[in-house]
Amino acid sequence: MATVEERVKAATARVLKLDLDQIKQEHSFTVDLGAESVQSVELVAMFEEEFGIEMEEDAALSVETVGKAVAFITEVCAEQGVEVEK
Amino acid sequence: MNEVKKQHPLVDAEEPNLLEDTFPYSLPPLIRFKGPVVEYIDGEAVEFDFGAVKDRDILITDTTFRDGQQARPPYTIDQMVHIYDLLSRLGGPNGVIRQTEFFLYTKNDRETLDRCRALGHKYPECTGWIRAVKGDFRLVREAGLKETGILTSSSDYHIFHKLKFRSRAECMDRYCEIVEAAFEAGVRPRCHLEDVTRADIDGFVLPFVDRLMEMSSQVPEELSAKIRLCDTMGFGISYPGAELPRSIPKLIYKLTHECGVPSDRLEWHGHNDFHKVHTNAGTAWLYGCGFANTTLFGFGERTGNPPLEGAIFEYIALKGDLCGIDTMAITELANYMRSIGLPIPENYPFVGKAFNTTRAGIHADGLRRDEQIYNIFDTEKLLDRPPRVAITDKSGTDGLVHWINEFFGLKGDVRINKIKIHKLARWVLDQYDEHGRLTAISDQELEAKTKELMPDYWQKYKGG
Repeated sequence: MATVEERVKAATARVLKLDLDQIKQEHSFTVDLGAESVQSVELVAMFEEEFGIEMEEDAALSVETVGKAVAFITEVCAEQGVEVEK
Repeated sequence: MNEVKKQHPLVDAEEPNLLEDTFPYSLPPLIRFKGPVVEYIDGEAVEFDFGAVKDRDILITDTTFRDGQQARPPYTIDQMVHIYDLLSRLGGPNGVIRQTEFFLYTKNDRETLDRCRALGHKYPECTGWIRAVKGDFRLVREAGLKETGILTSSSDYHIFHKLKFRSRAECMDRYCEIVEAAFEAGVRPRCHLEDVTRADIDGFVLPFVDRLMEMSSQVPEELSAKIRLCDTMGFGISYPGAELPRSIPKLIYKLTHECGVPSDRLEWHGHNDFHKVHTNAGTAWLYGCGFANTTLFGFGERTGNPPLEGAIFEYIALKGDLCGIDTMAITELANYMRSIGLPIPENYPFVGKAFNTTRAGIHADGLRRDEQIYNIFDTEKLLDRPPRVAITDKSGTDGLVHWINEFFGLKGDVRINKIKIHKLARWVLDQYDEHGRLTAISDQELEAKTKELMPDYWQKYKGG
């Protein structure tokens, strides 16, 4: 099974129409990867679908970087009993 | 930069101070006063206590069927009766809308009056409006009315150029003959001092009002003349320090304090030629005028009159209480007016289709978090009009999620969040980015797309 980081990067690439190798842990979704307002919402929706979780809206939308998203999703998965590959 | 005269230290707080004494939300924001207002009149400082208006009798009168009808094709009898019925509900049992005036010249005018009175409402009282012609009192008497307005134009523009009197004295004598005829007919005259804000106040208006007061002292109180101050061209000025004849404060002071006109026999009738109409009516109340004359939605000759619904909210704001007013009737009146072809601009306060609709996403975000941030008062409770957002490319997901929750009627914890509407948000954005759309998206389009893109929610809240 792919790791959380790989799955987050893959989902990000699909939503933002980027190549996987363009996406780094330290990248900001908005500043570096160019996510616009509606794309930020689409990203969160995609993460929820990918991992089968529900995220708190304001908290999820305030996550700035790919690395922080990986940590946040890992934490939510643990809280909601969803097993993931770290 | 000017010299700093006083430092203002931050008053830090961890809880918001929402100033709810002034902004109760369940009512329109209250108008509260602190300390007297000073106006210099003939070199003397005169103090006015605006705060006293909370306990002083002020009322609204209506001229929708007279001045209001001069600005549009005639209403049918049925339409006028329905409007009168709603006006009565709006003004409530205390008669905040105290009177409305009717033409009396045609068979239809008289039938309308009869049918309105047949409804049995105590308020608004029905009064008449006639020319300054003795013979017209027959119409008033036959209609069984106790009061009628009569034209007593007061500026030299009218006295000399319109009515062609040879002198002011001749004019005043003629007016007084008409007033005498009203007394003899047992009808209370309401003298409409047309064009008073362009008149010679000391040279004609005050002497004429002096004479009216003298004549009134000879008749029973219920016949004593009322004075309507007609700002025919919208020249009235509310600002302290303004000169006569345009100064509303000075004009009202002179009539009430020098001529002795009681507040309950003094009325302000404005026009909106300089966008001052509503404030001028409120100013008249504050400086001692008992009645503000208005029309529904401000419809009236040329630029219109003080809007009745504006006066209603001003009244509530000054009194701090609904006083029996049924504000919901305002929305019903607006819907009815639209249904009979009276256009109301979308951005028109209180009743326009978009009066509490925001288009900016950042404002929609505020509405989503707390509707009080961008709504003037509880418009759903007082007008059956919850705040709305119009969807364009500027609305953002915040605007769209507000629309969705309002559409499904969801409040509090069950409100849908932005994440759940991402497909709809994408469709909206693509309308503009991909398809070059330049118009707002209608409610009908959004409903159709919501059904298509959010079928689970549609099933849950719209039942399939």
